[in-house]
Amino acid sequence: MIIESQNISLKYPNSPNYVLKDLSFKLTEPGFNALFGPSGVGKTSLAKILTGEIHNYYGQINFNGMETCLYSYNLERLPGWSSVSRHLEKVTPDGRHELREELIDIFGIGECINQRFSQLSLGQQNRVNLLRYLLQDFHLLIMDESLANVDELTREKILLRIKNMFPETHFLYISHNVVEVSKFCKTIVVLRDINRQPQTCLVQGQDAKLDREIDKSKLDTTMLEIVNASS
Amino acid sequence: MKPHKKTTISQKMLFFISLAAIIAISGISDTATAAEKVNYRLKWLFNTSVVGDLYADVHQFFAKQDLKVAVKEGGPERDAIRELEMGRAQFGVASADQVIRALSKGAQVVVIAQLFQINPLQWMYRTDKMTINSLADLKGQTLGVTFGGNDEAILRTLLAKASLTEKDVDLFSVRYDYTPFLQKKVNFWPVYRNSQAVFLGAKLRQAGESFDFFIPGDYGVRFVANSVVTSKKMLDTKPETVRKFTVALLQGWQASMNVANNDTAIKTLQKYDKDSTVETLQEQLDITRGLIHPDPNVPIGMIDMAAWKQTEQIMLTQKLIPAPVSVEKVLRPIPKY
Amino acid sequence: MLLHRRIYQFFIIYCLAVACLFLIKFGLNLSDYVIPGPMDVWHTGIREFTRYFSDVMDTLMVAVIGQVISIFMALLVGITGRRATWFGSFIKVAAYNVQAYPIVAIAPIIFILLGDGIVTRLIIAAMICYFPVLLSVLGIMSEPVNDIEHFYRATGRMRWQLEVKIRAFENLNKLTTVIAGSATLAVAGTIVAEFIAANAGIGYSIRIALYQSDLAKILTALFLIGITLSLYQGVLELTGYLIKKGWATRV
Repeated sequence: MIIESQNISLKYPNSPNYVLKDLSFKLTEPGFNALFGPSGVGKTSLAKILTGEIHNYYGQINFNGMETCLYSYNLERLPGWSSVSRHLEKVTPDGRHELREELIDIFGIGECINQRFSQLSLGQQNRVNLLRYLLQDFHLLIMDESLANVDELTREKILLRIKNMFPETHFLYISHNVVEVSKFCKTIVVLRDINRQPQTCLVQGQDAKLDREIDKSKLDTTMLEIVNASS
Repeated sequence: MKPHKKTTISQKMLFFISLAAIIAISGISDTATAAEKVNYRLKWLFNTSVVGDLYADVHQFFAKQDLKVAVKEGGPERDAIRELEMGRAQFGVASADQVIRALSKGAQVVVIAQLFQINPLQWMYRTDKMTINSLADLKGQTLGVTFGGNDEAILRTLLAKASLTEKDVDLFSVRYDYTPFLQKKVNFWPVYRNSQAVFLGAKLRQAGESFDFFIPGDYGVRFVANSVVTSKKMLDTKPETVRKFTVALLQGWQASMNVANNDTAIKTLQKYDKDSTVETLQEQLDITRGLIHPDPNVPIGMIDMAAWKQTEQIMLTQKLIPAPVSVEKVLRPIPKY
Repeated sequence: MLLHRRIYQFFIIYCLAVACLFLIKFGLNLSDYVIPGPMDVWHTGIREFTRYFSDVMDTLMVAVIGQVISIFMALLVGITGRRATWFGSFIKVAAYNVQAYPIVAIAPIIFILLGDGIVTRLIIAAMICYFPVLLSVLGIMSEPVNDIEHFYRATGRMRWQLEVKIRAFENLNKLTTVIAGSATLAVAGTIVAEFIAANAGIGYSIRIALYQSDLAKILTALFLIGITLSLYQGVLELTGYLIKKGWATRV
């Protein structure tokens, strides 16, 4: 399965400026990849192009063998008329109840599962939201700041476990956290300012896994590469 | 020096006398030229029922009495007696029941002329559906009545006279819409004889239907209709203005009712009522004459004391007022005009 | 707003208004015919209370049924017209245009066609409160709640019932306010209908009181209308609050 974008350009209606210009990249390996860049550089727009939520772009996207692309973001909410557990139950496809319970355990939300979504903390809300996406059928899941407001230790635990549970699935992790993307992601697509060409630059991350320690000096190098690429 | 002083004093005196004379003359001429302004609130919209009021205004009858009268249109939400008390009008037209109710509530109002000698509020009925030779003929009939209106008081009095109770008849609540009458759901319908009855009569004639009018006065019920009123304060403080207004108004009415002035009266009406045809206005005017001036020996505006007393008695009997008001005390004789 | 607060607020407003009238009356030395005296109003109130109360209940019953019909219709049309389709925009344009006509201009046509019975009162009450409710429902239903709807859309789970449920739930406060507000319109509409052409209800009684130039009766009627309306609006708001609470506490 490959994600390939060729010369993607995007301009919103009634706006004279491009958001993305001649943007190209290719992700060949499944696993945890990242989309990194400063705020306003077009990460969310690119994510929405990939999931088909934005249509009026120029260029080409090739999803070789990928049919279902989902996009999750940190501001999503669950309806307020029933508890989180009831909502999760309703959106769990047949045969994935065990997976759900396992994820609830990994995500550390077992205690708050019977509360209303609005009663949860922001970190809990984001975990619940990501969890329900992980229960769905997908080939690519874009996680746009999906673990924002979650403490570092829990976030690390969740990321490592997800990687372990879904080794053959594509993830595109959108984050501002350079340490995090350097440490956990395989390929980091660094999205740069519109005036810089090419607008993207690929950096290889350390792709930390449950059973693999990472080299701290290599991590520093990756971080440096990302910072250099994006500045 | 003495003669000189004398001259000075006489000069001064002459000056003051001249000044006083100028002031006096200018004062007199002021009174003579500046007509007194008064507001006159009518009971209803400009139509044939107010032809005399309009005639007096348009043909300078008020001006001849040194009055500048603003004749103001009435309407369902207008109440001349309230306006008299609030000082927004000095004269007005009110129905007798309004006057009696106001008296009952302590309003200081006086009646200075009675415009309608015969109440225009009558019933129109289909002669092929009902025959009315006596009040007893109303028994078992569906009778249109505006609950709360004058016609209710009149009809109840008539029924009582005939010893009929509400159970002996079927009272149908009447509204602005004539459809139930036109659809023959009700064949006995209250109308203003000189306005609605003309339109309705034309429709019935067009449909080849025969009709007649049930006139309460024929059965001894003389419920007074529109009269001219002013406040007691106005009468006490400015009796001359009241006299001049009444004279001008009644002269206007007299002229408008005079057949010789028929065309002028119609033209006057046309200025205000642009919706009605000349034929309609003519028919309305002809009927109005019979209601305003039915007896050549009785001058227009004459206050029918007996009818007023009867009106009060009707209202008292029907508990529309809690106690007698002695209406005769506020009825003022009309001046010679 | 709590029920009791609505009632005492109404009492304050009513008493202030009546006090103002009495001030004017005594200040300008007006007769009881122009403005009735306090005792006159009090006695009329006691004398007419039962009759007017039953009239107000009659009016309220018509207004409530009219409002229920209008809310049902508004939801139906609002839900159908929420999509940015030709039909949706047609419904919106029609709703805006028809609202531009004052009901008093349309009312006579309804009276001629349907007579002056309960159906006419119902239709006029429903018509008066239908359009504001419809416009609100259209506004609420055509505005996506993306942060909630996104997941269901992305995973192919979105059904129209769920979409309506999400938007209604998210805007429950707005809906409750509009429905409580439309209660005023429904009652006012019914009174207007009764005033113009009906044989029952408080509007009909007000018309008769006007014929009789009896302001004390009108003040009594206004008091009963005001207090009943406050109670009704309070009950509607309370119902909205209970629905929301019930929804929010369901496991």
